Amino acid sequence: LRCQLCPPQRALQASAMVRTISGEQKEPFASSSRQQFDSHPADGQPQQEPQGPRPSYTGQGGQESEDYESEEQLQHRILTAALEFVPEHGWTAEAIAEGAKTLGLSAAAAGMFHSDGSELVLHFVSQCNTKLSELLEQEQNRVQLGEAEKKPTEQFLRDAVEARLRMLIPYIDKWPQAVSILLLPRNIPSSLTLLTSMIDDIWHYAGDQSTDFNWYTRRAVLTGIYNTTELVMMQDSSPDFQDTWRFLKNRVADAMDMGNTAHQVRATGEAVVQGLMGAAVTVSNAETSWASR
Amino acid sequence: VYQVFESVAKKYDVMNDSMTLGIHRVWKDIFVHKMNPSPGTLLLDVAGGTGDIAFRFINYVRSARERQLQRKLKNHQNLSWQEISKSYQEDQFKSLGDSQVVVCDINKEMLKVGKQKAEHLGYCEGLSWVLGNAEELPFDDDKFDVYTIAFGIRNVTRIDLALEEAYRVLKPGGRFLCLEFSRVSNPLLSRLYDLYSFQVIPVLGEVIAGDWKSYQYLVESIRRFPPQEEFKAMIEDAGFFKVDYQNLNSGIVAIHSGFKL
Repeated sequence: LRCQLCPPQRALQASAMVRTISGEQKEPFASSSRQQFDSHPADGQPQQEPQGPRPSYTGQGGQESEDYESEEQLQHRILTAALEFVPEHGWTAEAIAEGAKTLGLSAAAAGMFHSDGSELVLHFVSQCNTKLSELLEQEQNRVQLGEAEKKPTEQFLRDAVEARLRMLIPYIDKWPQAVSILLLPRNIPSSLTLLTSMIDDIWHYAGDQSTDFNWYTRRAVLTGIYNTTELVMMQDSSPDFQDTWRFLKNRVADAMDMGNTAHQVRATGEAVVQGLMGAAVTVSNAETSWASR
Repeated sequence: VYQVFESVAKKYDVMNDSMTLGIHRVWKDIFVHKMNPSPGTLLLDVAGGTGDIAFRFINYVRSARERQLQRKLKNHQNLSWQEISKSYQEDQFKSLGDSQVVVCDINKEMLKVGKQKAEHLGYCEGLSWVLGNAEELPFDDDKFDVYTIAFGIRNVTRIDLALEEAYRVLKPGGRFLCLEFSRVSNPLLSRLYDLYSFQVIPVLGEVIAGDWKSYQYLVESIRRFPPQEEFKAMIEDAGFFKVDYQNLNSGIVAIHSGFKL
């Protein structure tokens, strides 16, 4: 049974709850994608101390467990549950309604989200990025512990992008719809933030320490590789997307080459300049000796 | 309150049209669009007397259901024709997809007018008409997916009781939606609106419905109703989450929405 909370008590618990929840969020950028969810005061049982309850499910019953989590957590749960209905319904409010129903809520709870399914797509992308970060972190730990070899950059990038794109495979039929939703003007700030932070992550784990102009070129190049490979994947019908991975391999190789070519061009330029300098010195020496004759 | 609406019932729709210059239809359309009901939703429309919201809900759900069936057909295009005709038979009798509206009103006359309208417009399935008081609903707990009250809550004596009842009869995850006249924020518009309300509306009431007093009461009750933020706080007090409001026509009318989580 829910008791009525008086406003001052509620405000105290609201700040306590928000503190607990924010401490649990792994990825800081995930919360920026939630900018359309304002931080509503979360509720809790009046008997709880203002320390903020931990989301435990040993409450008085299945129904009460909702009291122990904030609205945002419940929204995340609904969206996660909705993902399994995406292949059938697409990235729409219907999928969210079905997801809410599996959690025992009325389908009207889908009204909490926008009617075009934007939040569902953003939630999924954010989830994938988190999974990717965890994967890369684990790999890095293994290398540090000496259990695995450090991969050369080219292969590292290839594997990271492939791992991330493979997460799309269960939803690949409806992925074009998701891309179009992500490109809606309203969603562009969020989707761009998610994309750039994912690329950032990959370069970070690839060992990129640069603080100069290279930082931008590397980000731009990898973003280009990722986006084009994603597009290829959407119309790829080869077994296990072999064509896509081959495309990816070629693009990454190109990018590496480009780096080398730039280096070579610079080296060649330097060599040419030195040659000219040498020639100039020789000529001036020759002239001096001729003049002194 | 009862007597006001007894005399007003028959001319209710006509008065609505003339007072709001027909814009109330647009408001109600936006209201149902915001609800975005899916087929299978159980709606309780309180103070819904003449059935405006109920009819719009049924139309919306019907077209949503058609789209749903079409999508199902598209996905089933590789089935044999026998399976397809079997699925036709199953779905045929569910043109509303199990959606239902219960229209509840305190006033018998309003319900009578509503029932007549339904017959006249051809709405036969999915509608129920119940006599009841918003402060004490004759329904069980956790029953409805959506609770709506359109232009009714300002007439309720104890608004907090009505909100608590709304909370009680809603399922977990259910939605509370309220369409009501509210505070106009723009000062210029506010002056024009006041002028219109106090000078024009009672006159219209006398001319069209022969009842000055009821419409005087109406305008005064609009002014007495709490402004948007205060009403939002009242809804939160009743236990609803994610309470929000949307102003239509810069505050002449506001839609408040809350969820039982």
